[in-house]
Amino acid sequence: MQRLRPGPVVAVGTIAFLALLVPLFGLDNPLHMDIAHRLAQPTLAHPLGQDAYGRDVLARLLWGARVSLAVASSSSALACLVGTALGLAGGFLRGPVEFLALRGMDVVLCFPPLLLALLVVTLLGPGAPTLIPLLAVLYLPGFVRVVYAGVLSVRTQDYVEAMRSLGAGRLRIMLGTILPNVGGPVLVQFSIAAASAVVLESGLSFLGLGVVPPAPSWGLMIGEARATMMQAPLLLLWPCLALSVTILALNALCDALRDAVDPHGITRRRRHGGLLDRLAPGLLPAPGAALELAGLTIAIDTPSGPIHPVRDVSLRVMPHETLALVGESGSGKSLTGLATMGLLPPIARVAGGAAWIEGRDVLRLDEAALRRLRGATVAMIFQDPLSSLNPVQRIATQIGEAVQAHARSPAKATWRRAVELLRHVGIPDPERRAHNFPHEMSGGMRQRAMIAMAIANQPRLLIADEPTTALDVTIQAQVLELLAALRRESGMALIFITHSLPVVAEIADRVAVMYAGEIVEQGRVAEVFARPLHPYTAALLASVPREDGSLAEAIPGTVPPPYALPPGCAFAPRCRFARADCSSGTLALTEVMAERLTRCRRWSDLA
Amino acid sequence: MTPLVVAENLSKHFPARRMFGRGRPVQAVSGVSLTVGRGEAVGLVGESGSGKSTIGRLMLGLLEPSAGRVVIDGTDLGATDADSLRRLRRRMQLVFQDPYSSLDPRRTVGAQIADGLAIHRIVPSGERRARVEALLARVGMTPAHADRYPHEFSGGQRQRVGIARALATGPEFLVADEPVSALDVSVQAQVLALLADLRRRLGLAMLFISHDLPVVRSICDRTVVLYLGRIMEEGPAGEVFERPRHPYTKALLSASPTLDPARRRRRILLPGDPPSPADPPSGCVFRTRCPWVAPVCAGAAPPLRELAAGHFVACVRADALGPVPDAPNGSVSQQ
Ligand SMILES: Nc1ncnc2c1ncn2[C@@H]1O[C@H](COP(=O)(O)OP(=O)(O)O)[C@@H](O)[C@H]1O
Ligand code: SF4
Ligand code: SF4
Ligand SMILES: [Mg+2]
Repeated sequence: MQRLRPGPVVAVGTIAFLALLVPLFGLDNPLHMDIAHRLAQPTLAHPLGQDAYGRDVLARLLWGARVSLAVASSSSALACLVGTALGLAGGFLRGPVEFLALRGMDVVLCFPPLLLALLVVTLLGPGAPTLIPLLAVLYLPGFVRVVYAGVLSVRTQDYVEAMRSLGAGRLRIMLGTILPNVGGPVLVQFSIAAASAVVLESGLSFLGLGVVPPAPSWGLMIGEARATMMQAPLLLLWPCLALSVTILALNALCDALRDAVDPHGITRRRRHGGLLDRLAPGLLPAPGAALELAGLTIAIDTPSGPIHPVRDVSLRVMPHETLALVGESGSGKSLTGLATMGLLPPIARVAGGAAWIEGRDVLRLDEAALRRLRGATVAMIFQDPLSSLNPVQRIATQIGEAVQAHARSPAKATWRRAVELLRHVGIPDPERRAHNFPHEMSGGMRQRAMIAMAIANQPRLLIADEPTTALDVTIQAQVLELLAALRRESGMALIFITHSLPVVAEIADRVAVMYAGEIVEQGRVAEVFARPLHPYTAALLASVPREDGSLAEAIPGTVPPPYALPPGCAFAPRCRFARADCSSGTLALTEVMAERLTRCRRWSDLA
Repeated sequence: MTPLVVAENLSKHFPARRMFGRGRPVQAVSGVSLTVGRGEAVGLVGESGSGKSTIGRLMLGLLEPSAGRVVIDGTDLGATDADSLRRLRRRMQLVFQDPYSSLDPRRTVGAQIADGLAIHRIVPSGERRARVEALLARVGMTPAHADRYPHEFSGGQRQRVGIARALATGPEFLVADEPVSALDVSVQAQVLALLADLRRRLGLAMLFISHDLPVVRSICDRTVVLYLGRIMEEGPAGEVFERPRHPYTKALLSASPTLDPARRRRRILLPGDPPSPADPPSGCVFRTRCPWVAPVCAGAAPPLRELAAGHFVACVRADALGPVPDAPNGSVSQQ
């Protein structure tokens, strides 16, 4: 949960505070008439003047706030209470309760609110006692729906199942587990309802159907001021101003609440354009490399200063080659891949280094040039194809779009090419499958379709970010086989991002091991796995499930988060080989043997 | 002595969720019989959708079987009333796969570990705090962690909290549904070591659900291999792993990537995806992908046969499989 912005809270608080404490301000009686001074100009005793009956405008304004806010908040509170109970019961107990709650609300929603209000008030007569339950009924459906939807999503969570498994009763689960988890949206709904109730109350009072004169209310004041608009236009201004300010404050509070309860927080948009350092590290790209990263560093700005989840990443991939980027979650693998595509999320920016794809530095290309590069020269596939495919488009149409993005061709030919690609990636019966929507395909089939899209323009570099992690082993075997075959026949370079060392052993030529944002070891897979030169690589290898039935060795402790990196070697707190001098200075990735790089001071003790 | 948990001929069919017309029900689990002895760890292996989680929940009485029954220590779960079932829950618990959705984000982990203690009035409320701290210590965490919220912990730590919550009621039977699948390898090893240690010290019976055969082998006594809601093979963990007899188990093992070049087997690449559980093949359910398939496989569904002591296989051809054929079905690749 984010922190609540204080501004709107203070604004709404001040208005509520004024309304509550009016009686203590020693203002005139708002009902006291003084016909002699009707429409009098402001004086010291009456700072906002007097109205058509000579009543003090300021007093009426503040007492009016009291009435308006009392009606709005009590009706919203009533709707909130009843609505939450109905939504909770409907969503959790299901069955007839659910039916009654939802259909009941549908009936309420069938009536246009203002008409319903007019009808009820004409039948039952105006006044706050009618107004409050009436408004409550009008706002009830909003609460029921918000709570109901929240309950439906919360009730499938494992922690609710856990309560059932523990033997908790329904009441305990509803009130103790589900209710707190739908509380945020209810709060938001409350501020929406309150703001709208203030408006509706004023409107009805203006029409003479709300608060009964002579009691003060903003709507009534506007109505009365209208009659004397020509003589005293200011009388119209004050209640309108009060109304607008109140609504604005409530809406701002509503927005602030929404941001505060949104678990994703506020994302600050920012392009990395101007922040590139022009003084990229020397080193020209190696001739012929499909990709070369030199000192890539990525920063994310946080309220307490920038953090660097990827630091000084250098690597090189040649055509025909598969490089595995391996590391635990949060080690910076995906960010590295995304930066190479110019696809960093808005909060992250490149803080240093260079990325050459076929000799061009992609970190310094503009968006248009990047778009031309993506797909044609370099393509990327992800772990979850379902979230990267368009759910409402047929699969061949999507592949066709990838084809069209770089070379326009007639629709018929494009479709044929898409079918061709589907066949190429081993989708059975591609003519029929071409018409499928993503949800009609299995996970393995979707990943094949993603691969078809990625290779549509014969890229020379494919970045695959955990492409088999979500798949079952037999399907994973199929996809690994497919990627290896595609690479063999097209000669494209492949960067395979994964956390699984056995998968690395199966597919890659070379491996770069990442830990806490840095590459700690790099080399040929067979050599690195046979004789690791960094303690982290060694520990990671030892933690892979054993095939002989013995338990694997765990690495003690956890990966340090990027905001709390230890000084010196980032692995030192968990390293068996750590010495005092490991925790100071900076360590560089050094080539200690032919094609063997490590970022460890004691590598020779491991060798 | 009778096993602690006995599942007899369990089936679970879920009604099809279709907007229009009638779909066929999903046969998530069909005719599964399974026992878990006191202190025994049984591994349930299979790919996603094979019915592992459904079996786990059936065995805890969290789902009602469509057919068959579950008996725990002599009590038939289906024949007891809701109240005694709730009391029985104290003795059996569930550990979840997803360390994120399994903890309530709005309550401290201490409060969540204390839930079981409160529901079953296991210790007076004054002593709950001490008991929670003891449970945290048991799973390798510190007393101060009790006052923190789930989002302050890493995946591995959350999984430890989930285990502590399950242990709070002092269960004899634990269903662990892919408890390490969502964790990084180094953390996986920590949690597996914890589970193995707890099992030894507390004598827990465990149904360990996983899709990772090596993991199952390292922690379980017995392994049960599922495909499309049916048992394909069952036997001592090392035996099933070293000498798999069922074609599906063989394929599964050969497909799992391995670090050890000496163990890199001749890979059996199964074609296509598993069939839909709403429309399983007749006869042997594996026959649409089996490299050894023969006309006889389309007949009656093969029953589980005991081929060696305690080693059961549901394949009509299991006695004479021979090497992987360059079958009509399968493509075989040499790694
Ligand atoms: N509540 C449910 N409603 C409908 N179908 C379900 C439900 N739970 C599971 N299934 C179906 O039953 C089958 C087995 O599921 P599950 O037990 O979750 O498998 P596993 O745990 O092995 O992945 C799947 O086809 C799944 O879609
Ligand atoms: S530098 Fe020191 S602490 Fe770091 S990995 Fe090497 S031995 Fe361990
Ligand atoms: S019964 Fe036939 S199809 Fe089924 S696993 Fe055995 S050989 Fe394969
Ligand atoms: Mg499951």
